[in-house]
Amino acid sequence: MKLVTTSRGQVSQRHVLRRACAVLACVAAVAGLAACGSSSSSSAAPGSTLTFADLAPFTGVDAALGPIYLASCKATTHAINAAGGVLGHQINCKSVDTRGDPADAVPAARQLFATTSNLPLIIGVTSDEAASVVPLINANKTVVFGMTGQSEFDSVHFEYFYRLVAPDLAESYAMVAIAQKKGYKKVALAFGNDIGSQTFVAPAISALGKAGLQMVANETLDLHASTYRTEAFKVVAAHPEVILTEALGPTAASFLSEIKQLNGGKMIPVIGTSATVEPAWYASVKAAVGASTLAANYLADNTAVETSGPAYEPFLQAMTAVKGEIGGGNFSTYLTAPGAVHLYDGMNLAALAMTKANSTNPSTYRPFIETIGNGTPGAQVVHSFAEGTAALKAGKAIRYVGPGGPTNFDSFHDSTGIFQIDQFTPSGEVKVVGSLTPAQLRALG
Amino acid sequence: MSLLEASFGFGLVTAAVLSIAAVGFTMQFAVTDVLNLAYGAVMIVAAYAAYALNHAGVTIWVGVLAAALVGIVLSVALNRFIYTPFQRRATPIAVVIVALGMLLILEFGLQAIVGGTNVSYSLSEGSSLKLGGLQLTMQQIAIIGIAIATMVGVHVLLRYTRLGKAMRATAANGSLARNCGIRTGRVVTTTWVLTGALCGIAGAVFAMDSGSFGATSTDLFLVLILAAVFLGGPGQPYGAMIGALLIGLGTEVSAAYITPSYKDVVAFVLLLVMLALRPTGILGVRT
Repeated sequence: MKLVTTSRGQVSQRHVLRRACAVLACVAAVAGLAACGSSSSSSAAPGSTLTFADLAPFTGVDAALGPIYLASCKATTHAINAAGGVLGHQINCKSVDTRGDPADAVPAARQLFATTSNLPLIIGVTSDEAASVVPLINANKTVVFGMTGQSEFDSVHFEYFYRLVAPDLAESYAMVAIAQKKGYKKVALAFGNDIGSQTFVAPAISALGKAGLQMVANETLDLHASTYRTEAFKVVAAHPEVILTEALGPTAASFLSEIKQLNGGKMIPVIGTSATVEPAWYASVKAAVGASTLAANYLADNTAVETSGPAYEPFLQAMTAVKGEIGGGNFSTYLTAPGAVHLYDGMNLAALAMTKANSTNPSTYRPFIETIGNGTPGAQVVHSFAEGTAALKAGKAIRYVGPGGPTNFDSFHDSTGIFQIDQFTPSGEVKVVGSLTPAQLRALG
Repeated sequence: MSLLEASFGFGLVTAAVLSIAAVGFTMQFAVTDVLNLAYGAVMIVAAYAAYALNHAGVTIWVGVLAAALVGIVLSVALNRFIYTPFQRRATPIAVVIVALGMLLILEFGLQAIVGGTNVSYSLSEGSSLKLGGLQLTMQQIAIIGIAIATMVGVHVLLRYTRLGKAMRATAANGSLARNCGIRTGRVVTTTWVLTGALCGIAGAVFAMDSGSFGATSTDLFLVLILAAVFLGGPGQPYGAMIGALLIGLGTEVSAAYITPSYKDVVAFVLLLVMLALRPTGILGVRT
């Protein structure tokens, strides 16, 4: 760069000063633009709207998952906004489609950060994409409440990653514990070939051995195939007393209808993971095998969720308020769906943590998620954002206990509650028919 | 019942569904010169049309006819408003990319309307037929029957009718056919109508056979259709029938003995072996 000189050949101080000012102005402008593009590291401007992003599959074989989380987001933010918002900020929900594929999820997450201002929280993140996007979200210092059960998150610490759903390892043990409790001796495994489903197989096989149950078949179901007749035939020919399964999309419906057909019209009992206690899974399998058949032959493990009481009532009100915006399926199944319940709790925890920290900056409010989730001695138990905000304004310490039950975050930000056994009624409601003690699970681990 | 016999029976059903789709696809490609990758999307839209009727209480067999009608309307519209304008101005590879784009537009457009939940037709459970080691439901037998009737119909059309001869002539050499007085434009439009009907029927029987389906269910099936078409020789309806049979049986029988996750890989191994031995496919001709 050529410096400006005076007629005497000397550099003019005035020109240098002008240039320095111009450069500083440019730097400030660029910094300002960068701040607009990614505001997760700073608190939102007063009165601006915050965004909670639902980063999950909305298309592809797991397309049913994203809309469930979005329903939960709409319900939770509706309740928070009705209570005055977070620190005066209203909140909206944004859906970001990962297609259930890491290759699509990473650019989708990058685009989310590049185009969304005031993004203090991300929800969703299933096992389809968690391994690829959680490090990215963590690097962007944004809090995420994930729906993945992948066991790698049991032992790898991501500062901004939280989950209220059970690790897959524990779910595998829970399924085997249910089979043991029901007195089944011969068990078949039939899991989808996606990452999220295959993660159950090895721990389930190990737990079956410890439980003294016999594994008579182990079929992997290609989620993109249109029929599973040969796989179903092999399972039926092995004469299992029960099938442990998780296969999302149309796979479960096709496979189980073929099981029923090849077994002479008689369904073999099924034990599913908590992901099967979802409206979309119920709707598609019911249509394929019949509501009464499904009700009579289906059980699933699920982390315990409330179906009445002080935490359930605000949740029910919030969900009912947005009922018209929720997609197809039996509405009541949303009230027990892990994706709806646990993300509702996660969003409330984050919103209360922001209120407590007096900041929407994730780096500032994040530590308060654990404080409010795990509670401190003498903390007042609250069951909703409105109740929690009122208590915080009164200067009280709080512990949030939502419809997903009390949280107890460990050092990896995992909080696994007690397991219950769920069943669908013929009309599609979820009924709790039993529970599993931690001792029962430990015996299989 | 042995696993081999059972999987052979299952393979016949898969081959039946595949043959209806593959014959329609290959006729379309031969006569119109469009590698219509949106074929699978048209299939699933037609399947949903049948579902809408079936869900309203109409028997699925009427639904199959409605699916054929939807297949016709969509295929003719695709040709009239999308492919023909691009064929006039763009290179053949660009038209393939346009078809790929239409596949995504139709699929995701459908998914935006119907959502992510999968659906099933209401079918009477009926009885099963056990013949030796084979075990097939009445619906599966009906699907095989529809496939046989379709194959016979295509054979009669191509061999014994003026339209069929005009289609063959247009497929062989469009310019020469036009110079010989064949109204190739009309033949092309008629081909879109006929293959659109086959596409719609294939969509409905695919959905019946699957038990449950969603907006993106035909993604992998389209790849199997392509494998059957190229195995038999592109543009060869009889080749597509043979290709469908080989792939249907190959995938199901192999699934009985190796992990079923690889059954679609078997289809492509078959295709690669065939193309290595005979690059034009089973009935393909070198041009």
